[in-house]
Amino acid sequence: MERVRRWQRKWRRLTWGDVISTAIFLLPLLIFLVVLYGMLVWTFYVSMANWKGTAPNYTFVGLKWYKLMFSLDRFWVDVRNNLKWMILGVIPTTFVALLLAYLLEIGSIPGTETYIRTLILYPVAMSFVVTGTIWSWMYQPDKGVFNTILRALGLDFLTGRFTTDPATATYWLILIFIWQYLGFAVIILQSSFRTAELQEMIEAATVDGAGRLRILFSIIVPNIRGGMLILISLLLISALKVFDIVYVVTFGGPGYSTDVLAFFMFIATFQQHLVALGAGLGVIIFLMAFVVVIPYTIYAFRKWFE
Amino acid sequence: MKVYRLPRWALAVSLLLIAALALGACAQQTPQVVTKEVEKVVKETVVVTQVVEKVVTKEVEKVVTKEVVVTPTPKPEEKKLEIFHWWTAGGEREAADAMFRVFKEKYPDVEIIENPVAGGGGVSHRVVLQARLSAGLPPDTWQTLGGAELKSYVDGGYLEPLDDLYAELKYKDVIPQPLYNAVTINGHPYVVPLNMHIQNILYYNKKLFDELGLKPPTTYDELVAAAKAIKDAKPKMSPLGLGTKEKWEAAFLFDSILLEEGGPEYYVKLYKGEIDVKTDPTYKKALEKLQALLPYVYPYHSNLTWDESCGLLVSGDSAMVIMGTWAIGYFKSRGWTPGEDFGAVTFPQKPERILLFHPDTYGKAKNAPHPQTVMLWLKTVASPDLQIPTDVIQGGLFARLDIDPKEFPDPIRQELQTYVRNNPQKLILDQHGSIAPFSFTQAYWDAVAAFIADPNVDSTLSTVSDLFQIYDVKTEAAWYQWP
Repeated sequence: MERVRRWQRKWRRLTWGDVISTAIFLLPLLIFLVVLYGMLVWTFYVSMANWKGTAPNYTFVGLKWYKLMFSLDRFWVDVRNNLKWMILGVIPTTFVALLLAYLLEIGSIPGTETYIRTLILYPVAMSFVVTGTIWSWMYQPDKGVFNTILRALGLDFLTGRFTTDPATATYWLILIFIWQYLGFAVIILQSSFRTAELQEMIEAATVDGAGRLRILFSIIVPNIRGGMLILISLLLISALKVFDIVYVVTFGGPGYSTDVLAFFMFIATFQQHLVALGAGLGVIIFLMAFVVVIPYTIYAFRKWFE
Repeated sequence: MKVYRLPRWALAVSLLLIAALALGACAQQTPQVVTKEVEKVVKETVVVTQVVEKVVTKEVEKVVTKEVVVTPTPKPEEKKLEIFHWWTAGGEREAADAMFRVFKEKYPDVEIIENPVAGGGGVSHRVVLQARLSAGLPPDTWQTLGGAELKSYVDGGYLEPLDDLYAELKYKDVIPQPLYNAVTINGHPYVVPLNMHIQNILYYNKKLFDELGLKPPTTYDELVAAAKAIKDAKPKMSPLGLGTKEKWEAAFLFDSILLEEGGPEYYVKLYKGEIDVKTDPTYKKALEKLQALLPYVYPYHSNLTWDESCGLLVSGDSAMVIMGTWAIGYFKSRGWTPGEDFGAVTFPQKPERILLFHPDTYGKAKNAPHPQTVMLWLKTVASPDLQIPTDVIQGGLFARLDIDPKEFPDPIRQELQTYVRNNPQKLILDQHGSIAPFSFTQAYWDAVAAFIADPNVDSTLSTVSDLFQIYDVKTEAAWYQWP
């Protein structure tokens, strides 16, 4: 009873000013939610409509386009490639970034840390379209930098076909991704090192005579769960929705061996004019992203209720 | 205690809002008045005299209604032309400029708004255009290929038929019949073509061919023989240049082999979906021939776009390439003189000399914002005044057969245009977004490009056969008639 009365009092004290200011702050969020989730629902519906060709067609046809999607070899190549991206694009990046961040943190060469950090961070500032173009020139098997250097060194047996070999092309694309995201990963990890508790623990361990690697793996890694989780979630999502590298460097080729879901979505919607199929692919990407963010969401909720 | 009291600023804001709304409402009160007026009821007395001695007066009521509709004089149409096109890259840009220059000379007071959305050129052209069309905000006119791409716009109800314009200009009589068929859907012409691109042309390094005493190949066997001779003389060269990055280039190469293997009727039947690829011996044979050619093909083709693959000739990495007429412009931009540095023959010329073509065209949007100006534009597109400078720069052939082939500066297109003039029935609409539906061709190019990267005849046969089924080519391509 007391509680209800308190609520009532609170409500009565509410002025128009409160209402308006609340509305002003809520409105952008509401608009954002409506636009975002409205579009999501709409895409979901379009994927079950019979929209092909240039004119919208909202006739409901159920799972027709999903059936077609699952019957396409290209779709399964895409799913496999996306999984490759998510595993090979994320784990090495995180691991290398961890070592680099720790190296910078120890500051073995005093005074150079800021410079090195800028150097590492620089690739992040560039667009994938730019880096993709540069890398595709370097990969060029006849005249590209890599093979030219190898040939000049007399290491002809090491020269490769890089992105023109259907069997390995995806891996060379993932390498570009790793290179580009490394700096970003280093920054996130470094900032998560900088909590007072962690610094104290490291100090204590150092006093106790623990080795540097020991400190990294036994003390730092278990204590930066939050940073790691954010980093891995972000990297996973970036790897899942990758489009620009594929578009610029290989255009999905040779054949469709480096194709990914997002690229197929573009081709299906705007080149094949199968808008419903494109929407269906979008739904698949959404579902995969949803699975990816679950661990982060659980972590975030736990923190919230702590 | 201030309860329920609005702060002053909120009051001010809401007052302002109300004022603004009121003003807005006032501003809208200049409606287009349409008055309907029913005019007088006229009464008339008619005296009818009869033979009988009786005079009967009959009152006849006759109601005459007349409707007078008063409409305000329509606002004069703005002199503007909104146009979407994809000629934005080097070489093509100049052709677009030439095109607009001609229009500007004829109608200096019309303002041309081209690709008003940033990034609307090139590949993203269709992305932006499709968004505009589905939103009901069409530009006045836009560039489209004939055939399947055109059909997708017609099916969507975005274009107006141009029967009157064709009749007025007698355009049907001056363009080849196969070209007319390619722009005609369900019996109505929908767009005005301004050129024809021929896809099956083999370009070769003339100096090298002269040096080695080779004749330009016009059949598959001659092609293999020439490639072998070049490989023997220059082991570092890949005799046949190729770029498959955008995939359609792969289908070009394969198309020319198919055309020789099966002949023109087969080619048309195939892309109309009337052939069972899985068990078809001709298709299999063509794939095997393509595979046998691969040792002579530039090995890193998946990295190159079409222009880069032509660049292989200039850089001396390759000696031949199969590409459309637009490559002439590219070679010229690299400083090569036609007939001197490079030569061209249509390929293949067996069993007969067929030219695979597709046109660039413009149509009139339904609900075009400037309907009168569009018609001026389309008339210009159909005129030799526009076609001569534009096509000479851009690289295709003239759509009009009454233009003198000598207008082309290069011997290659002079010869092609003369051939088309004398044998218009040898033109076949190609598969490059033209006979078969878009949904199919895109996937088909991928399959052929995959085959060239990693040849496997059996799996390609079943993939291609599935694609014909999945995208229902048989019904979707039924509109096309050849010859």
